[in-house]
Amino acid sequence: MNYTFDFNAVSLGPLLDGLIVTLKLTVAANIIGVVLGFPLALLIMSRVSAIRMPAMLFVEFFRCTPAIVQIVWFFYCVPMLFNVFLGSTTMGILALGLNLMAFNAEAYRASIQAVPREQVDAGIALGLNPLQRVLYIVLPNALRASVPVLLTNGIVIFQQSALVAIVAVQDLMYQAKTLATETYRPIETFTIAALIYFAVSFPVTQIVGHLERRRQVMTS
Amino acid sequence: MSLDFSVLLRFQEALALGLWTTVKLTLICIVLGCSLGFLVGLSRTSPSAIVRGIASIYVEFFRGTPVLIQLFWIFFCLPLVLGVELSNLASGVIALTLYMGAITSETFRASLKSVGREQMDACIALGLPRRVQVTNVILPQAVLRAAPTLLSNCISLFKESALVSAVGMADLMFVGQNISNNTARPVEVLTIVALIYFAIAFPLTRAVTLVEGRILKKLAI
Repeated sequence: MNYTFDFNAVSLGPLLDGLIVTLKLTVAANIIGVVLGFPLALLIMSRVSAIRMPAMLFVEFFRCTPAIVQIVWFFYCVPMLFNVFLGSTTMGILALGLNLMAFNAEAYRASIQAVPREQVDAGIALGLNPLQRVLYIVLPNALRASVPVLLTNGIVIFQQSALVAIVAVQDLMYQAKTLATETYRPIETFTIAALIYFAVSFPVTQIVGHLERRRQVMTS
Repeated sequence: MSLDFSVLLRFQEALALGLWTTVKLTLICIVLGCSLGFLVGLSRTSPSAIVRGIASIYVEFFRGTPVLIQLFWIFFCLPLVLGVELSNLASGVIALTLYMGAITSETFRASLKSVGREQMDACIALGLPRRVQVTNVILPQAVLRAAPTLLSNCISLFKESALVSAVGMADLMFVGQNISNNTARPVEVLTIVALIYFAIAFPLTRAVTLVEGRILKKLAI
């Protein structure tokens, strides 16, 4: 190949501005997902099918359609259907947050159901009432077990947030695209942008791996 | 506002064509990606540190960056690096195969780990050559255990394949966006596109649960 690399052509300023937008989107979506995912998990496990069914439909819909379709749908259809006009960053946060909420609800549900039956039985034997059993036995266990999955989902949303570039939110991906066309240096720009994404998500995946290993040691 | 889904009737064929592109792309990348994933999964258990290192860097990099940026990189940069023109389909296949290879390699690695050390020792005791060890002893067990996760990986790939619309490949999402721009009816068109994806992915997720139950039963015997 006879391509001469010129990494100096890529100015880091816009990319870092983009990274800040990306991080904002990620953090805000994670707050929505972590906080609202839990009540949603409780709705999925409800015994009343009139409550369970809509909640399950919501979760399955987000899990079974491409994120890009959800985001494009959200940006085009919400303003038309509901006549609300929000800033593009807010829309991005809402779209990503709802998506994460569905995935986190599944994570919470799995970890709530994984709390060993004996522990609950022990609670009954100790004479704890149902509320106390949930608060002191099921919840702490389940929350701790769901941390690695929540972190993984959080980092997945960090990566999925690149999709909002398609609907012109000025995140890292968007800045990289603009810069690549402006400078005619796609290789350098996209490589640097990819490395920035990697630099953020890699440490988190290492932490998740560490937490999981520690958990395995503790439970075995 | 009033919704009018009948506009879509005119575009049935275009949507079907887009869906066919999506399905074709997904199937090709499932076959190539799973093979790549198995090889990489094996390499990560290799005794050679160099092989292990290269495999880990590949996997971590593809799992640590957004698929969209991988796709852009392969569409815009790979032709420059290689100095050859790549067709849309070829770039799409390369990008999604590399992605699929990275995620399935993790699946295979986990299932290879769960194939007991004794099995390997038994192979050595029987004096089986390395190739037979892999194809006749390790592979069947690993694939069986990996099946449910592999199936979910395939569903992820099917969903991620919608990203190729961003680089102008005429898949279901791309066709849908075009129709919605031309008819100015995004609500109807995008909803139908989402429902088509859902109608395919949802039954598959149910199948994962079924397969999981079956395999758990089989392995417990």
